[in-house]
Amino acid sequence: MKKIDLIKLPFNKQNPITVQVLGVCSCLAVTAQLKPAVVMALSVTVVVALSNLIISLLRKSIPPRIRIIVQLVVVSMLVVLVDQVLKAYMYDVSKQLSVFVGLIITNCIVMGRLEAFAMSNPPLPSLLDGIGNGLGYSIVLVTLGFVRELLGSGTLWGYPVMEKIGLYNIGYENNGLMIMPPMALILVGIIIWIHRTRNKDLQEQ
Amino acid sequence: MKKFSNRYIFVYSTILVSVVAVVLTVVCTGLKPLQERNARAETKQMILKTIGVEASRDNADELYEQYIKEERLSDGRSLLTFDGGRIIPLQGTGLWGPIWGYLALDDENTIVGAVFDHKGETPGLGGEIATDKFAKRFIGKSILQPIVLKKNADKSSPYEVDAISGGTMTSNGVTAMLAKAYDEYGRLAVVSSAADTIEDGKETDR
Repeated sequence: MKKIDLIKLPFNKQNPITVQVLGVCSCLAVTAQLKPAVVMALSVTVVVALSNLIISLLRKSIPPRIRIIVQLVVVSMLVVLVDQVLKAYMYDVSKQLSVFVGLIITNCIVMGRLEAFAMSNPPLPSLLDGIGNGLGYSIVLVTLGFVRELLGSGTLWGYPVMEKIGLYNIGYENNGLMIMPPMALILVGIIIWIHRTRNKDLQEQ
Repeated sequence: MKKFSNRYIFVYSTILVSVVAVVLTVVCTGLKPLQERNARAETKQMILKTIGVEASRDNADELYEQYIKEERLSDGRSLLTFDGGRIIPLQGTGLWGPIWGYLALDDENTIVGAVFDHKGETPGLGGEIATDKFAKRFIGKSILQPIVLKKNADKSSPYEVDAISGGTMTSNGVTAMLAKAYDEYGRLAVVSSAADTIEDGKETDR
């Protein structure tokens, strides 16, 4: 596989959310607004990339019997580091994301990529694979955050778009369902549907 | 597959965990002063916000000195006053963890400014209590009765505020927190304002 594919594939045919169906939980939870979605996406990308790199460097020394524990320890360390750095330098954002930064540990994308890729590949491709998958996750998160904030709260990044356009004056109302987690699941379903309609080879027989 | 002995596994995990522990300790200790400064500045920013002073993290200390007077009461609590009234702290629990806030009251116990915050409410749902939009709903309300958060609240009532859609549990937490604040501060104010009314020779409904 070419190196560039490691970055490119997760955007499309190997997307962690829509194709591998990993990390769905967090993408339902943090996408009610755009800003937390973006910071969450970046944090996950950093954690996946670095944990892939570290595990790949250690891969030959890790005893298979305790590999999951080793992976968890490395991932937890990185997540705590991200959380601490956010608290020190991006205090407001870290507050907004609250518990979800800690929950990156349980994000299946991280463990999924470690098991599926980093344990059996050299460091550089692993790093690229991590970045690619992080970005693939990001694009879905940002899309959801955009749609949900715009239709659910009428704002984008906190800016009252709908109010400025004047839609409320002609009887438009925000869709309260949009900010509920179930709507995120429905939207993910719609994205998967569109994605599979356009890519026939993703469809199961 | 390569075979690893039990001894190797034990040594390996011990070293790994020790290394991780050292890294985390170093980073956490290193960043602690910054984080604590952020947290302290944030409290001051919150208090300043209730009286309409927007402070940044850097000038919060200075502005706080300028606008807020802190007085230590005999029972160990501190009384915060500003030019035109006092500021009372609120503490309670939301859905996932602690929530807190400050209310700035004028001499008639009407809320002139409010600010809320939380530790771990869901962003975009219960987490919305930390927004200005939510805090503004409290301006003009009174703490002479417990304020209740509910759906389709009567905006003209001084004791009702619109709850957050999708954040019912957190809204209930805010209601409980306000009820507690009423117990601690409002009830006293009712008694003292009733006493004033009687002194004025007017009738009172209490």
